[in-house]
Amino acid sequence: MLNKTAFSSIGKRQPRSEDYRLLTGRGRYIDDIDISGALHACFVRSPYAHARILSIDGADAEDLPGVVGVFTGNDLSQWTTKLRMAPPIEGVKPLEMTTLPIDKVLFHGDLVACIVAEDRYLAEDAMELVDIDYEPLPPITDMFKALEDDSFLIDETLGTNLISQQSFATPDVHRIMSNGDKVIESTFSEHRQTHLPIETRGIIAQWDAGCEHLTVHVGNQATHPYRSALAARLRISESQLTVISPDVGGGFGQKIALYREELTVAALARYLNQPVRWREDRMENLMAASHAREDWVRTRTVVEADGRLKAMSLEIVEDFGGYCFYPANYLARVIAMILSGPYKLQHYAYDVKVVLTNKCGNGPMRAPMAITSWIMDGTIDNIARELGMDPVEVRRINMIREDEFPYQMATGETLEDINPFETMEKGLALIGYEKLRKQQKADQEQGIYRGIGICNVVESTTYGSKFYKSAGIPGSGHEAAWVRVEPSGAIIASVGISATGQGYETAFAQTVAEGLGVNAEDVSVQLGNTDVAPYGMGSRGARGGTAGGGTAYLAGQDAQKKVLAIAAKMLGLNTDEQLSMKGGKVWRRLDEDWSDTKLTLADVARIAYLDPTNLPQGMEPGIQIHKTYDPPSMTYSNSTHFCQVVVDVKTGAVCIERYLIVENCGTVINPLIVEGQQHGATIMGLSGTLFEQVIYDENGQNLTGSLADYLIPTATEVPDLEIVHMNTANKRTPAGIKGMAEGGVMGAIGALSNSVSDALLPFGIVIDKHPISPNVLRTLLREKE
Amino acid sequence: MKPGKFTYHAPENLHAANQLLAELGDDAKIIAGGQSLIPVMNLRLAQPDHLIDINGISELAGIHQENGLFTLGCLTRHADVETSPLLMDKFPLLPAAAKRIGHLAIRNRGTIGGSLCNADPAAEWPLIAILLDAHLSIQSSGGERHTPAKEFIQSVYTVDLGADEILTTVAFPPLARGEGWAVNQICRRTGDFALVSVAVTLKLDRQGHIERLRLCLGSMDVTPFRLIDVEQAARGKIPDKAWIHEMAGIAFDAGSPESDMHASAQYRREMAAHLTSEVLTEALGRCRAGT
Ligand SMILES: Cc1cc2nc3c(=O)[nH]c(=O)nc-3n(C[C@H](O)[C@H](O)[C@H](O)COP(=O)(O)OP(=O)(O)OC[C@H]3O[C@@H](n4cnc5c(N)ncnc54)[C@H](O)[C@@H]3O)c2cc1C
Repeated sequence: MLNKTAFSSIGKRQPRSEDYRLLTGRGRYIDDIDISGALHACFVRSPYAHARILSIDGADAEDLPGVVGVFTGNDLSQWTTKLRMAPPIEGVKPLEMTTLPIDKVLFHGDLVACIVAEDRYLAEDAMELVDIDYEPLPPITDMFKALEDDSFLIDETLGTNLISQQSFATPDVHRIMSNGDKVIESTFSEHRQTHLPIETRGIIAQWDAGCEHLTVHVGNQATHPYRSALAARLRISESQLTVISPDVGGGFGQKIALYREELTVAALARYLNQPVRWREDRMENLMAASHAREDWVRTRTVVEADGRLKAMSLEIVEDFGGYCFYPANYLARVIAMILSGPYKLQHYAYDVKVVLTNKCGNGPMRAPMAITSWIMDGTIDNIARELGMDPVEVRRINMIREDEFPYQMATGETLEDINPFETMEKGLALIGYEKLRKQQKADQEQGIYRGIGICNVVESTTYGSKFYKSAGIPGSGHEAAWVRVEPSGAIIASVGISATGQGYETAFAQTVAEGLGVNAEDVSVQLGNTDVAPYGMGSRGARGGTAGGGTAYLAGQDAQKKVLAIAAKMLGLNTDEQLSMKGGKVWRRLDEDWSDTKLTLADVARIAYLDPTNLPQGMEPGIQIHKTYDPPSMTYSNSTHFCQVVVDVKTGAVCIERYLIVENCGTVINPLIVEGQQHGATIMGLSGTLFEQVIYDENGQNLTGSLADYLIPTATEVPDLEIVHMNTANKRTPAGIKGMAEGGVMGAIGALSNSVSDALLPFGIVIDKHPISPNVLRTLLREKE
Repeated sequence: MKPGKFTYHAPENLHAANQLLAELGDDAKIIAGGQSLIPVMNLRLAQPDHLIDINGISELAGIHQENGLFTLGCLTRHADVETSPLLMDKFPLLPAAAKRIGHLAIRNRGTIGGSLCNADPAAEWPLIAILLDAHLSIQSSGGERHTPAKEFIQSVYTVDLGADEILTTVAFPPLARGEGWAVNQICRRTGDFALVSVAVTLKLDRQGHIERLRLCLGSMDVTPFRLIDVEQAARGKIPDKAWIHEMAGIAFDAGSPESDMHASAQYRREMAAHLTSEVLTEALGRCRAGT
C-alpha cells in the first residue's frame, strides 16, 4: 500500500477545471479561432496505392474565381527542406521525404497537390478540375511479400523494403532452445488501426511580414519539438516561430509529428503573405493521417514440466506503411525490450523487422507496445493448454515475487516498485476464480460458452532519456516547468506538455499546489504555447504524470523554499526550518504544533517584488522558478485485467459479462482523472480488439474511409469496468508518481483475446488475430462444426 | 467533404414543389430529413444543381387512422413513429421497427418517405413496407398515383419514381386481431444498418393452425423480399418447433446475399436462419398472448 504521506492536493478527487469551458461549449478548438481574411487549403490526394506522377495540370482549377493557386511538390521544395529520417541507429535505414511528393505517390490518399482558395467549398470545386497524369505501379500491400527478393520497392534507393531490423540474444538462449525440449509456438497478430481523434488534424498559419514571425495554431501534443521541426524545415529560426496548441479534441499519438500538410500550409502562409487554414476532413483522417499497429508476432518457448519458462524467442514483423515520420524501430523495439513483463525469464532472444508497404505511414498510438501483454499472457495460456495446467498456475510459478525486486530483465531493463503477484491474487479472489471455473464447466454442458481471460500488464511509462539511449531511439525524456508567484500572490505555472483532453491543467495545478503549499484552485496552469511554456518533450508515452506533474511539483517545492526564506526574514527568524506553507499561508512549528503566522503568500510576494531591500541578503527579487527534470529510465506501473465473456456460438457475438482491473499506478494525483484514463484506455483496447480495422484491398485501396466502415464502439457497446487500486509509490520519482493511461489498452487486448480463446477451448479455437468480429468467429466455428 | 454548388428552394405547398420538379427535372433533388442525401452530397457522390426542401410543407407530415388504414405522411420522422401514442397503442410493430433505425439524432430528422425513396436494402422502412403490403401515394403535377411498396422498391437505391414525382403518403393496413408479429436484426453496433433483418406477422386460427404468415428478409438481396410461396404453403400447418426449424432452413437458402467487409454471404445466410427462428418464436408468443 501507498506509504501514507501527508499529501493535501495530490490525491484529491478534484473536478477538472477545464471542464467548465469544454462542457459549456466555450472551448477553443482550431475551428473556433477566427482569423479574418484566412484562406483555406485542401489537398488533392492519390486515388492509387502506388503510382508515378507524370504531370499535374492545375490551370483549369486556377481559373476558377476565388482560387488562389494550385501548389505541387516542386513548388514546396523551394520553400522547405526535405525530411531526412536517418537516426544513428544500427539496423535502421535512412529515408528522405519531400514536403509534397514530386514524382511518386506511396499510398491511397497520399498527397499530390495543395489548393488554396477563399473558402473550402471553392477549394473542393477546384480539386475536381486538377488534371493529373499517373502511371500506376504494382501495389505492395502484404508485408511478407514486400520482404521477398523480387518485390517491387517502395524506395529504390534502399534496395529493400526492410527498413529496420534489430536482434538480440542472451548467450545461452539458442543452445537451450535446441536442447530437444518441445518448443511451444504461439502467434499473434494485430490488424491496422488508426487513432481517430474526434477533432481531426488542423492548422492555421499566419505570417507577420513586418516582424518576420510565423504563428501557427495547431492541435499538437508536443509543441516545442514541433516548433524545432517546423522552423528547421522552413529554414527560419525557432525565435521566429510561435506554436500554439489550443483546446485539442484528442490526439492518442497522432498529433506528435510535423505532418506534410501542416508544413505545406505554413510555407504557403509565408509565401502568400496571407493567413492560411486547413481542417482535415474525416475521410482524410481515416485514410491519410497516421495509422498504427499491423504486426505479426511469433513466440517460441521451452518450459520445464511444471510450466516454468526456460527460454523464449520472439519474432516481430511490422507493417510500417509507406512513410516514416518516426524512426522505423520506434514502436516494435519497445515490445521486444519489455516483453517478459512480470515473469522471470533470463534466456531470451528477439528479432524485429519493420517493413515498408503502400499504406499510410504508421505512428505511435496510445500504447505503441500494446500487444506486449497479450503476447506474453497469450503464450502462457498456450503453455497451460499444452501442459494441461490451469493458466493461473503457470502464471504463479513464473511470476516475479515481492522479494525478487528490483528484477533485471534479460534485456537489461530493471523492474522495481511493482506488485504483479499481489494484483493478480487480489483479482482472482474478487472474481471467485475457483468457483467460476466450476460454473464454466456446468454451463458448457448447457451450451453456454463462458470464458475467463487474464492479462498481467507491466506498463512502461515516462521514458526517461536513459531509456531512449538504450533503446536506440533519438530523443530526450526530460521535462521543464516554471512557477511564478506574481506580486499579488497570483500563481501561474506552465509545463512543456500540451493537453489533448487529459485534464493536465487540473493535475498539474494539484502537483504545483502540493509543492508550493497552496490550494490547487489558486494555481493557473498555462499550456500549449511555445512563447509561454518552457521547452519540454510534450505529451506521449504516459509521461504526463511523472515528467509533467513531477517537474511541476519540484518547481512548486523550490518556490516554497524561496517563500519561506523571505517569510523567515519577515518574521524575524534566523531560519526557515520550522516554517511550512499550507493553504497559501505560512505556518510555524513550535514543538509538535503548527500555528498560523498570519503571513500569506501575497504578503511574501509583495516584498519579493515591490520591496526587495527587505529581502534576505543577496536574494534576487521576485518568485520565479524554472525547473527541468530528467526522470528515471522508466517508471513501471502494473495491473491485472480480468475479462469474463460469453460467446454466442450461433451468432459469433462476444458479450463481456464482467471486467475487473486491479491496478498499481503509483501515487495518484487525481483519482477522477486516473479513472477516466483507465476507462478510456481499456475501452480503446477492447474497441481495437472487437471493432476498429483499417482495411486495404489487394490493390491497396483503402475501404474504410468513413465511420460507417471504420467502427468504433458507442456507450452501448462497452462494459462496466470495475477498478481496484493496490498502488505502491515509485521510490525514485517526485511524490512517488508513476505513469498510467496506456496499460489499459495493453490489458484489454490480452484479457479479452484470452477470454474468447478460453470460451472456445471446447472447439479447439485459439484467437491469434483481431478483430474478433462475429463474422470472423462464425468462420472459425463453422470450420469446427 | 463539402458539397458542390446548388440552389436552394423551399416551396410552400405540394403543388409548388411538383411544379419546381417538373421545371428542373433531373437537375433537382428533394431533401427531406437529409440523413441519406447530405452525406452523399458531402462526398460529392451526388451533385444536384437544385435542392427542393419539402420540410416546410405541413400537409406532408402527420399520422392518421383513416378508412381502416394507418396513413403516415412522407415527412413523418422516424422518432414520430417511435413515440406516437396512436401507433404504440394500435400498431406497436411500427414503433418497434422505427426504434431500430440509427440513433436518436438521426431518427429526429430522418423521414419515412426519405427512407423508402432511398431504398437501402438494409433499411427498416422498406422491410416493413414490403412485409405489410403498404400502399404508397405519389404525386406529380400530372396527378396522383398509387403503388404497392413491393413494386415501388425496385433495387438497391432504385425506386419507381419519375423525376417530377413526390412520394406523399404511406398507408399500412392494420394487423388482424390476435395477429402476432416480430422484427429483429443483427448489427455490429446498436444503431448500425442491419447486416440481416427479418420481420414477420403470424395469424393462427382457433385450432392453432396457421391462417396467415408473412415473412420478409432484409439485406439478403437487392431489396427486402417476402417468401410468398412459403407463406402460402404454411397455411393450415401447426407452428411447432420442427416447423420453425424448417422455416429457418428455408430462410438460409433464400435470396442471394452479398459479402462485404462486415459479413460474408455465408454469415448472412446463417443469421437469416437464426433470426427467422427467433422472430417466429417471438411472434408465436404474441399470438398466444393475444388470443
Ligand atoms: C449514421 C446513420 C445511421 C443510419 N442508420 C439507419 C438504420 O439503422 N436503418 C435505417 O433504415 N436507416 C438508417 N439511416 C438512414 C436514415 O433512416 C435516413 O433518414 C433515411 O434513409 C432517409 O430519410 P431522409 O428523410 O433523411 O431522406 P433524405 O436524405 O432527405 O433523402 C433521401 C433520398 O430520398 C429522396 N426523397 C426524400 N423524400 C422524398 C419524397 N417525399 N419523395 C421523393 N423523394 C424523396 C431524396 O431526394 C433523396 O434522394 C441512417 C443514417 C445515418 C446518417
